[in-house]
Amino acid sequence: MFSSGPWGQAIRALRYNRSAMIALAVLLALALLCALAPIYARHIAKTDPFTSNVAGTVLVNGQETDIMQPNDNPLHLGLSPIGPTWHPQSFLLGADSQGRDVAARLLYGGRNSLIIAFGAATLCILMASCIGIAAGFFGGITDAVLSRLMDIMWAVPVYLFAISLSIVTITQGLKIGPFTIASDNLMIPVFIIALVYVPYAARPVRGRVMTLRSAEFVIAARSLGVPRRRILVKDILPNVLPTLVVLAPLLTALSLLAESSLSFLSIGVQAPAASWGTIIQDGEGLIYTRPMVAVAPGLMIVITVLALNILGDGLRDALDVRETSRRSG
Amino acid sequence: MVTALFRRLGQTLIVLIGISVLIFAVFFATPGADPTARIAGKNASPQTMERVRHEYGFDRSLPVQYATMMKKLFITRDLASYTNRGQLVVPEIIQAAPVTLSLVCGAAVIWVLASVATGTMAARWRGTWIDRGLMMAGLVGISIPVFWLGEVANLVTQARYHDTWMFSWVPGPGYVPLTEHPWAWFKALVIPWIVLAVMFVGIYGRVLRADLVAVSGEDFMRTARAKGLSPWRVLIRHGLRTSMITFISLFGLDFAQLLGGGALLTEVVFGLQGVGRLTYQALAGLDLPLIMASVMYSAVFVVLANAVVDIVYVALDPRIRDGR
Amino acid sequence: MTRLFSFLSSAVLLCLFSPAMAEGIARPAEHAGGTLHLAAQSSPGTTDPQVSYFMAMYQVEAVVYDGLTTFTKGPGPLSRHAIADLAESIPQPQDDGHTWIFHLRRNIRFSNGKLLSPDDVVASMRRIFRVNSPTAGPYYSNIVGGAECLKDPDHCTLENGVIADNQAWTVTFHLTRPDAEFADRLAFNHAVILPADTPAHDTGNSAPPGTGPYRIVSYDPSSSMRLERNTHFRQWDAAAQPAGYPDRIEYRFGSDPESSVTAIENGQYDWMAENIPLDRLAELGSRFADRVHIVDFLNLYYAALNVNIPPFNSLKVREALNYAVNRHAMVIHNGGPAVAAPSCQMLPEGSPGFEPVCYWTRGADPQHPALRWEAPDMEKAKQLVRESGTAGQKVTVITAQQPEYMAMANELRSTLAELGYDASVRSMVQAVQFGYIQNSDNRVQISLTGWNADYPAASSYLRTLLACDMFHPHSDNSINISGYCDPDTDRLMDRAADLSVTDRNAGDRLWAEADRRFMAQVPTVPLVQVRWVMPLSARVKGDVSAPVYQVVFSRFQIR
Repeated sequence: MFSSGPWGQAIRALRYNRSAMIALAVLLALALLCALAPIYARHIAKTDPFTSNVAGTVLVNGQETDIMQPNDNPLHLGLSPIGPTWHPQSFLLGADSQGRDVAARLLYGGRNSLIIAFGAATLCILMASCIGIAAGFFGGITDAVLSRLMDIMWAVPVYLFAISLSIVTITQGLKIGPFTIASDNLMIPVFIIALVYVPYAARPVRGRVMTLRSAEFVIAARSLGVPRRRILVKDILPNVLPTLVVLAPLLTALSLLAESSLSFLSIGVQAPAASWGTIIQDGEGLIYTRPMVAVAPGLMIVITVLALNILGDGLRDALDVRETSRRSG
Repeated sequence: MVTALFRRLGQTLIVLIGISVLIFAVFFATPGADPTARIAGKNASPQTMERVRHEYGFDRSLPVQYATMMKKLFITRDLASYTNRGQLVVPEIIQAAPVTLSLVCGAAVIWVLASVATGTMAARWRGTWIDRGLMMAGLVGISIPVFWLGEVANLVTQARYHDTWMFSWVPGPGYVPLTEHPWAWFKALVIPWIVLAVMFVGIYGRVLRADLVAVSGEDFMRTARAKGLSPWRVLIRHGLRTSMITFISLFGLDFAQLLGGGALLTEVVFGLQGVGRLTYQALAGLDLPLIMASVMYSAVFVVLANAVVDIVYVALDPRIRDGR
Repeated sequence: MTRLFSFLSSAVLLCLFSPAMAEGIARPAEHAGGTLHLAAQSSPGTTDPQVSYFMAMYQVEAVVYDGLTTFTKGPGPLSRHAIADLAESIPQPQDDGHTWIFHLRRNIRFSNGKLLSPDDVVASMRRIFRVNSPTAGPYYSNIVGGAECLKDPDHCTLENGVIADNQAWTVTFHLTRPDAEFADRLAFNHAVILPADTPAHDTGNSAPPGTGPYRIVSYDPSSSMRLERNTHFRQWDAAAQPAGYPDRIEYRFGSDPESSVTAIENGQYDWMAENIPLDRLAELGSRFADRVHIVDFLNLYYAALNVNIPPFNSLKVREALNYAVNRHAMVIHNGGPAVAAPSCQMLPEGSPGFEPVCYWTRGADPQHPALRWEAPDMEKAKQLVRESGTAGQKVTVITAQQPEYMAMANELRSTLAELGYDASVRSMVQAVQFGYIQNSDNRVQISLTGWNADYPAASSYLRTLLACDMFHPHSDNSINISGYCDPDTDRLMDRAADLSVTDRNAGDRLWAEADRRFMAQVPTVPLVQVRWVMPLSARVKGDVSAPVYQVVFSRFQIR
């Protein structure tokens, strides 16, 4: 479909970008792995990663072993979950403090993290392109109001904004007209993260539309009396698309980081469901005895976000679009 | 200039009022947010509940309650917490501010120095493995969740290797005031500084490199090189100066957001009772007075920083100054 | 209470580890002087002793203020009653328990030098109502005039309820009904005696003068509190208010529990207010066993079942869940058998009126009770659910966000799912959750919470948590979270209370009967009782524990 023209060129350029292709492969592999979470849990590890199992035992090297292992100090203080066995059949990465298989949770958690990240990025781009195109194309009062609004949102620390929204929605669920979204629905973090990053994406879109509006071919079309809607669809939209394509992986990366942060603060994905952020939070309480619980999901996040960023870089180079960036720690 | 300043001030005021009204409205619309029962204490009798409701004015209309709260926050400054009876929120913020200031300033020093170094080096050796290596490292830095990096830092310095020579000097998490013990202050903060700075080093290094590369094609750079100046000199004396405009405006916004509470994840992980953590606790506990105070504090910082950045921008870039 | 450990609790240190025990008995040379360093994550709120309702502040106030009565500030059994403090002795109530005449000790001075007089006692009792003390209603409104004071605190006089006699140096209390727990209630910090001229509002960060061995010199909730000796203090009774060993007490706020543990190990702090993070228990047990004390105290984690809405309006479903819950797993979630024990009844072990009984374990039922919990009985539970016909319904467990609550909530969710329900968990911040689960408007089906009483009494578990008049529909303050009401059991509890005035043992037997009646109707699922793990720095000597207060700061000997 994009055999020739700017898109075809871009794809060819991307194909020759080795690091971008590796990143893409890593992402696809991760997504596939996480999609197969139920198969791993059911048929390989044979465990339910959502049910707590602290009183149970497991066979390790043919020996019946307690999942929560007592310590033999004089006061018998402290129980530690079983550590990594490195056997895919039983607690590959050990158990968390509720006796659940960390490896299986890692895959299920990855599924949620990726769904939220991609969902939020998609929703964000949709909202941002509506706002950015409206502001850039219509200008005047529309632009003034929308831009001020974006400025205000831009001024609040992203995470504080997201946290405020999460706390309110987690406590009472979200009511939109007749529809109620339960507080443990993944749509809530998707919606919140998409919302807080709208200014991030809307600005470059608006800038691009403004440039296009004064581009010669648009002015020419206007002077020929082409209706505005037609100009929008035929001339503006196709030319905004590269900006959106470049934004997509970067926004996904940001969304993934935001999701994990919210979940880490226990206001993202709700228990007993998992995401990489919630597993890190579970691991925080085990950092002294079972650090793997916190380390593994963090590594997954780093790998995923890094791959997304590299892909974003590759796309930007291939499509020749400049980015603006803002993050917060 | 003065009218512009006043206009800006007016806009700011409207924004602040808007935010505070919004917070107030959302709070009272949230179920379970009614603070009466919490103030009255567990198992208080209905009569005591009634009295508390009356004394705290929860039985009055929302506009009156809003006005009272604003008066107590800004004029009499004796606004007390809803969750921790008797605790005044303004001193709490004042106590938290130096913690955040220490954290953010230290991190800023690290990230400015490190990103200028990596950015210029990458630009100087553009296209070589040094460039690629530094930029990839920067990308990795951007990709690490800050709270996880903090956790891992804690794991290494507090739990796993705390008893080795390398990390035995690391004190337990928490803040020591600079005035109390400067060396302990430094020791307590150096790891949080690095953790907070990592991501910004990545971003700023990459931004700086891109700007330096873009600027190197401009005429004045060519002229400088043609004069026979050394490549380092050209890069630093001429390139860096021009590229600093983007750098500074970016820095101003980030710095202000961090001061206003954006560093909360770092503060949470390292047990630093700064503004961000305070805001988070206030939000999590639905403690309206504390939410109000901390958000107002944060908003003021961000607005101020925006103004300062604009001014610096004008001062640095002659093109902008002449345009006005 | 809900957040066991941060609110008031009753506790005793049963010093379990023998070396420490031996030292406590042997009484080595006593060390007076030095500075005691305490740490807490957050400040414990107002210092006003008649308003404050946090365990951490209660412990501080125990060495700063005195009531007419108090609890022994030394080791002993969990179940205990008040002893005389500012009063010379606990009087025998007269007039069928309606009148109590306290003889006040003479020559006791407040830390500002003023002499304590009967008028101060009357003023302090009035002030309970004037400052809207949280317990004004439940504990003190049975004083004659108390009900009026509760309604109109500004014009509160208690003129016929509390009468000072400056000649005889006595204070006479008239009660509207006899109260076996009256002396215990006067020992609680809301009834401490303050100078009569203490302002009638929450004094916040400036603590009013007291009669104890220490005075609060400075208090900044965001950083620290400092106590020094009260120079006017002369010891009158070592059990009621012992003279202190340390010269100064420094309380630092803002240190999170993880770093507090490390700081105590290294000797920077001597004691910390929070419970130990479970992850650190093994380390403490293996490296610092001689410095770790495990303290028993009265507490209970339980799930409240809303008996007014499905599915828990069915007795069969409530029984099923009680059979099905794996209390051993709950013990593990709270740190294992060394620090927690399964609970099968509403009264915690060690409480007055506690008689061990368990209906809801494998092989037992109300007709054939066991002595303690052994194992869950899933078969019977599933059978009961089938009979109730409620399987498949949606059930949401509401929990606070603390890790141990989250773990227990997920355990409950798993059990409910296994029983055939469509179960889920919703977590909220503690402060919000506690109000949310009490309000009947929120239609909470099952919620997880914890309770520890202000003073050791069966009534503070049974009456407070399950009596009809503790259920206030549509209110965030309705501590009978189950919404349970059985007038017969209420009458039984009234009888128990009345009988206790004259015969405590007979009264306790009735309380035990009430406990069993509740457990036959199971409006709750009792889960576990935990113990307090308390590490001390190497320089602390002596036994610092006491029931009710857990620790008494004046008794820390510092080398």
